[in-house]
Amino acid sequence: MATETRLLGSRRISLDDPADAQEYFHSRGWTDGLPVVPPTTAAVEAALDWVGMPPDQLIGIEPVRQRAITAEKVAVNAVMAGCLPMHLPVVITAVTGMLHPDFEVHGPTASTGGSAILCIVNGPIRRELGMDGTFNVLGQSDRATSCIGRALRLILINLFDVRPGGIDRSTFGHPGKFSYCLAEDEEGGAPWLPLGLERLGGDADMSSVTVMAAMGPRQIMNEWTTDPGEILDTFVAEIKANMLHYSIWHGYYAICVPSQLREHFHRAGWSKADVRSYVYERAFVHRRQWADVGKGSVVADRGDWEYRALRDPDHLLVLSAGGPAGGFGIVIPPWLGHKSKAVTTPVGACVDC
Amino acid sequence: MTFEVLDPTHETEAAALTRAPRLASLQGATVGFISNGKQGVREFLDALERELRDRHGVAEVVRTVKTNYSAPADPEIIDRAREWNALVAAVGD
Repeated sequence: MATETRLLGSRRISLDDPADAQEYFHSRGWTDGLPVVPPTTAAVEAALDWVGMPPDQLIGIEPVRQRAITAEKVAVNAVMAGCLPMHLPVVITAVTGMLHPDFEVHGPTASTGGSAILCIVNGPIRRELGMDGTFNVLGQSDRATSCIGRALRLILINLFDVRPGGIDRSTFGHPGKFSYCLAEDEEGGAPWLPLGLERLGGDADMSSVTVMAAMGPRQIMNEWTTDPGEILDTFVAEIKANMLHYSIWHGYYAICVPSQLREHFHRAGWSKADVRSYVYERAFVHRRQWADVGKGSVVADRGDWEYRALRDPDHLLVLSAGGPAGGFGIVIPPWLGHKSKAVTTPVGACVDC
Repeated sequence: MTFEVLDPTHETEAAALTRAPRLASLQGATVGFISNGKQGVREFLDALERELRDRHGVAEVVRTVKTNYSAPADPEIIDRAREWNALVAAVGD
């Protein structure tokens, strides 16, 4: 089959062999420290063919130095991360979201706070790619999820120069900075309306990617009640702990609810909107509580001031995710406050036409 | 035999990002400060302003503060910068 000849603009580097390429890439700070798939012209062309994009297709503009981020460079880094061509639509959609002005990509990627970009995938594309929102969903759940999340990190490293000690000033960072991607479990247990459809509307055949500047996941456990309110009280307690121990400022939080707990919400007739409104009403602390966690010196005369975790109920992303057994849950706090908003982008939509 | 791979980095900077000509002197100059708005930057800029006025004869210091420390400077600040001879973009924490 004849293939269209594409004129890739990237500099071509001649090396001895793939092993030489590994060392060459590591030595230049082009990796996350793990081995990469050498980005050959053939692999990058195959990825661009899959999405039907010319190499110079503009995906977005990096906001600080006004860098044009192109499909070719995104594809090069996706290949390095281990992505197959069929993974590229998700990677490109995630990058589109990261470059939306509401995401304010510079802050969460440069800050000492050390957040990662959580990437949530919804819709039929999850199943096409074999993305699994159940067992080990925040670990190495499956190939596509691992590689797509890793691709976003390599793109930050190589296209945004977000390297440790360079633009990335993270004090700690967290393991999600290697890869922080999950597919929502839209089928298992008692299904809820998927996040993408909640945030964008549309039909069930639409796929979407949501990006959120996120700290590491905090696991909770409550297997000793079937009451949705009591279950959520445990989530709320973890959110309050984060507000006191880390940052008191409101922002976008995500919670993961596994099917064992979702059954209880389903039986009681609770939708995601019900969950959001319950958490919104209860997730607040008073400034005086800082004194309980060693921060009394900054309470001042504002001890009665009330701080909410969520400025709006919709700032809570409620996710169906996790293995079938276990009365656990996850709270994923925001990077720091509201400066970076969660952005949801449909897969395959034209953003400039 | 060689093995050919592609450079994964950003290779082309926007042409507009070139350094402005250096000033021969700060005597009588107007210097703008762009603060990122965090608490820690104020003391630094106070000290810098004293240095610039007392030791380098700077005539005027114009202080501006970004509305969002994570975002590029607001367009209004960039507009005002055209009236300055030099500027200091300061990041405090």
